Amino acid sequence: MVVLIEVRNLSKTYGQHKALDCISFSVAAGEIVGFLGPNGAGKTTTMNIITGYIAATEGEVVINGADIVAEPEAAKSNIGYLPDTPPVYGDMRLDEYLDFVADIKNVKKSERPEMLSRIKESVRIEDMSKRLIKNLSRGYRQRVGLAQAMVGNPKVIIMDEPTIGLDPKQIIEMRDVVKKLGKKHTVILSSHIMQEVSAVCDRVMIINKGKIVASDTLEKLSAGLTSGRRMQARIKGGKEQIISAFKDAPIIKSLTADVSREPGTWDVVLSGDENIDIREAVFKCMAKNNLPILLMKSLDMTLEEIFLQITGGSAEEEK
Amino acid sequence: MVSIFKKEIRAYFTQMTGYLFLMFMILLTGIYFALYCVYAQSPQYQAVLSGVTIVFFIMIPTLTMRLFAEEVRHKTDQLLYTSPLSVGKIVIGKFLAATALFLFGLLITGLFPLLLSRYGSLPTGQIMGAFFGFFLLGASFIAVGLFISVLTDNQIISAVATFAVLFVFFMMDFIAISMPATTLASLVFLALIILGVAFVMYNSTKNVFAAAAVALVGFLAAGGIYLYNNLIFDGFIIKTLQWFSLYSRYGYFVNGIMNTSDVVYYVTFALVFIYLTVNVIEKRRWR
Repeated sequence: MVVLIEVRNLSKTYGQHKALDCISFSVAAGEIVGFLGPNGAGKTTTMNIITGYIAATEGEVVINGADIVAEPEAAKSNIGYLPDTPPVYGDMRLDEYLDFVADIKNVKKSERPEMLSRIKESVRIEDMSKRLIKNLSRGYRQRVGLAQAMVGNPKVIIMDEPTIGLDPKQIIEMRDVVKKLGKKHTVILSSHIMQEVSAVCDRVMIINKGKIVASDTLEKLSAGLTSGRRMQARIKGGKEQIISAFKDAPIIKSLTADVSREPGTWDVVLSGDENIDIREAVFKCMAKNNLPILLMKSLDMTLEEIFLQITGGSAEEEK
Repeated sequence: MVSIFKKEIRAYFTQMTGYLFLMFMILLTGIYFALYCVYAQSPQYQAVLSGVTIVFFIMIPTLTMRLFAEEVRHKTDQLLYTSPLSVGKIVIGKFLAATALFLFGLLITGLFPLLLSRYGSLPTGQIMGAFFGFFLLGASFIAVGLFISVLTDNQIISAVATFAVLFVFFMMDFIAISMPATTLASLVFLALIILGVAFVMYNSTKNVFAAAAVALVGFLAAGGIYLYNNLIFDGFIIKTLQWFSLYSRYGYFVNGIMNTSDVVYYVTFALVFIYLTVNVIEKRRWR
């Protein structure tokens, strides 16, 4: 595993306000990492420091072996950055703009046409080549911003809220693009929207009040916060009948049945021991008692719940 | 650097600024030319250029106000500062673009003396000198405008502030002669300069001792010079301000005198402001 980005003890203070408080993490080559946090948590500040746009008050950032402060040019040549506002020049045509970006990123003239047309195709802006950027819609501008970050084939692509302001269809398209990017590049993206991060990221870092409060894969984050596996089943039959039927299955550690969303059925929440799949046991048990299962789903915590639990918890600690 | 230069030149001509600047420059020079040369039936074209320098502080801000202010406003500075380009190259590219546009306008106005030369003999040396001095003066002012543009994200503020600063430069000679010439006033003035340098020192290094040391050395040197020969301090303020006057040096060029010291002065002046611009940008990367 090659570490591409190494962030050590990063702090940033704006006057009295501490925007980042001693953040450390590293990102390996090929990872898709999501920064998740409420507004003002320090996501943008972290990204601006990693890309060398602003300086940290303390700490260091090393990108592919080059320190962002000591060797800015070498470090920056490894990064493509899409800030929260796409950095586009309204009075340039799309092709002119991408050519300019290729120019400042030292892309050889001979490689340009092929690279630019490939990028335009992958973010689906080929049809806009001759349009002035100021006449493009928000969604297209966002894609132009992403195209700009991809120019020069940087090892790392950093995106700050890439789907903000897009319509649902565009959001899904953007996610596909990000997933595709993840195959060739290391990607860091930030968001305050849970579904987005859970849809594309290998690893999630939850930032709150300038600190990393959790950093792990989604499954592990979820597992660490729940004890045992829980699932919900909708079963047709009487409540007493269902409860007594489950008494035959010792694998079920607890059950509650107090919701009825469909007439004649009960929604039962079941849980078993950690790392034991209880679904089959539930099926057999119900089949034996002739109680049809209409619906069965796992109740692993959603990222949303994890997020609230973690950020809420740390807020209480501070009080 | 070349990429930034090309981008800025293109921006001048896709937005109206480039055309407006050229139009005003040629129009104003044309008016002065008509009045000073054609109606007055005079071959002294350098007088036209001297006249045009007075409207410099209106023309230069239109050229420089957008250079950095616009980038910050549209957040495109994030693209430039996170690209592998060094800040120095970005700043110099922008400076050269503005200067090139100015030079282009100046070359077009070169048609006026050419026109004139068909009808008589011209003081060629003086006119060449005036052109050269005019260019240096313009480039110096562009550097000032560039520096002010990086301090704000608002083009209007940038333009007005540049206008104000250039106006002060224009008035420098008048301001200078109205200053007190007594030794005491000179010493107070010098003390303020030393304190100012110490403050800048502290602001960029955050080191109290270094700043205090600079101030101490400055005061000791000033005191030493005062004890050794206090005549130096007679009219010190006036001498200093006059030395800073960009317009009075321009007068030598118009008279056909090309001093190396004056050329060096203008070039240094521009370089200092370019350096300051780079530093203001780099400062965001400092701790």
